[in-house]
Amino acid sequence: MPESRVLVLDKNEDRAREMTAILNFLDFSPLDFRTLKEVQDENLAPRDFLAIVLGSTELGGSHDVVNWLRKDPQHAPLLLMPEYGDDTLGLDPADVWHLAYPVQQSQLTEILRRVSIRLLNAEMESEATLEGPTGNAPAVARVRHMIAQVASYDTSVLITGESGTGKEVVARAIHAQSARRAMPFVAVNCGAIPADLLESELFGHEKGAFTGAISTRQGRFEMAEGGTLFLDEIGDMSLPMQVKLLRVLQERSFERVGSNQTRHCDVRIIAATHRNLEERIADGKFREDLFYRLNVFPIETPALRDRAEDLPTLIGEFAEANEQKGRGRLRLTKDAIRALQGCRWPGNVRELSNLIERLAVLHPNSEVTVDMLPERYRPAPGTAPVAATAEGGAVVSLDAQFTLPEDGIDLRAYIQAVETGLIRQALDQADGVVAHAAELLNLRRTTLVEKLRKYKMQRSTEAEA
Amino acid sequence: MTPLRTILVDDHADFRRLAQALLSELDSVDLVAMGADGEEAVRLCDEHRPDLLLCDIAMPKMGGIQATRLIKAQDQPPIIALVSVYGDAEHRAHAQAAGADHFINKVDFLPSVADLVEKVMEKRNA
Repeated sequence: MPESRVLVLDKNEDRAREMTAILNFLDFSPLDFRTLKEVQDENLAPRDFLAIVLGSTELGGSHDVVNWLRKDPQHAPLLLMPEYGDDTLGLDPADVWHLAYPVQQSQLTEILRRVSIRLLNAEMESEATLEGPTGNAPAVARVRHMIAQVASYDTSVLITGESGTGKEVVARAIHAQSARRAMPFVAVNCGAIPADLLESELFGHEKGAFTGAISTRQGRFEMAEGGTLFLDEIGDMSLPMQVKLLRVLQERSFERVGSNQTRHCDVRIIAATHRNLEERIADGKFREDLFYRLNVFPIETPALRDRAEDLPTLIGEFAEANEQKGRGRLRLTKDAIRALQGCRWPGNVRELSNLIERLAVLHPNSEVTVDMLPERYRPAPGTAPVAATAEGGAVVSLDAQFTLPEDGIDLRAYIQAVETGLIRQALDQADGVVAHAAELLNLRRTTLVEKLRKYKMQRSTEAEA
Repeated sequence: MTPLRTILVDDHADFRRLAQALLSELDSVDLVAMGADGEEAVRLCDEHRPDLLLCDIAMPKMGGIQATRLIKAQDQPPIIALVSVYGDAEHRAHAQAAGADHFINKVDFLPSVADLVEKVMEKRNA
């Protein structure tokens, strides 16, 4: 959650008051304290802030602050006043920023903007566990098995899967099970950072390298040294950046923006994307050589609709997480859970987590019935029968109950007839454009192409690509 | 012409007071409720079913972007305009990805809201 609260902890009262006034003016909500004890007396936790500005303390006070921060893995980053020099107080350098004093408004604004973005990126991912994604569905068990297989090797991993399927959860689990576990795990969302800023974000910059480069700054590669760098939404990376990344992968070295000093790095790369990279390559938007460098060990995270059996477990987990945030106990009736199991979940686990959070905010300590669900999650009244024209032109009619005829059916032929019928309709509706037909069927284009091949179906108008 | 039933959510009481005064100048805005954090935004939108939500991004407990995700899960969700002092591409990208319809820089709050409301009304009457 991008917070508005900023903790100002400074024994120097005049300076603290000045900082507070500036933060207020910049539309933040500063909380001004002289000592850590006062903060703790207010029951404030290190994660309750956007940032923590630390000035001078009592003897040993900064040590106490660092210990207080270390107790909370989601603690806010530390903004240090100049008396600390370049010291990072033993904290992860990614969590420490150095402020100029007298306060430079542009520097302060830029740091807080970046800190806010980091918080937004972090909240895009659900809580990671050591084991990887939870659930008992075979597809999830397979992912967990692959994580265990690849973790101990330093190979690059490419994680693909729809948005919201927990790709960062997989990346974190790989890191946690690897020999690099004691070293940093650094995540970058390549899709959320404008192309012109990504280079300095990844490789760092020297002071004055470009307008806004007020001080020298480490990039994510340096921060991840010895550990793992997770490059999310790699499919959105611009072509010039792809060239630069490829070079790092090949030569294991890079330069900060504005510097010609080559730095060597020892970083394991895990990349992820919800895009179909083979398609991006075909469209000239992704470099094939980079793809092969990254795709050494591919893992695909399953869509939520393909593992509906895991819904009760996931709902339980999210409900508990909300309870821990102090939102009261949320329960769903069996019918409500069954209704949710029948949903399509285009936003996957992320969408489910949002729905549960919404229900926890609106109906704390009560039981949620089907009627309390938003309309799109309720089963449609009397699901309309679907008619589909099968291969041989016979009409297969599916009624809502899928009643089994007394003398049984040939299930495989039945399903095949349904599938080919719907594919044919989608192709007709899309004027034979496979990519559009795939969208109508919510399939990847490559999956549809595979099915066309399997059923020996012709794309009616589209020429072979 | 029915005005847009609007909810305003911002953690700064000063800004709420100022915005309330500014919005009262707009005939096509009917301010039905105000709140101070993201959770209140979710509750108020469920209760009032407004046409428009003007919501700050940075707030205690739950920010405007997460609130947007939860509100867009409701039936007939309001048009959501996130309001922020950050006008940069990254915040805009996050706002858009969360499902926000518009992004307003706090610095030009009133003209931006007036412009937005006018466009919404035009669309409605079209």
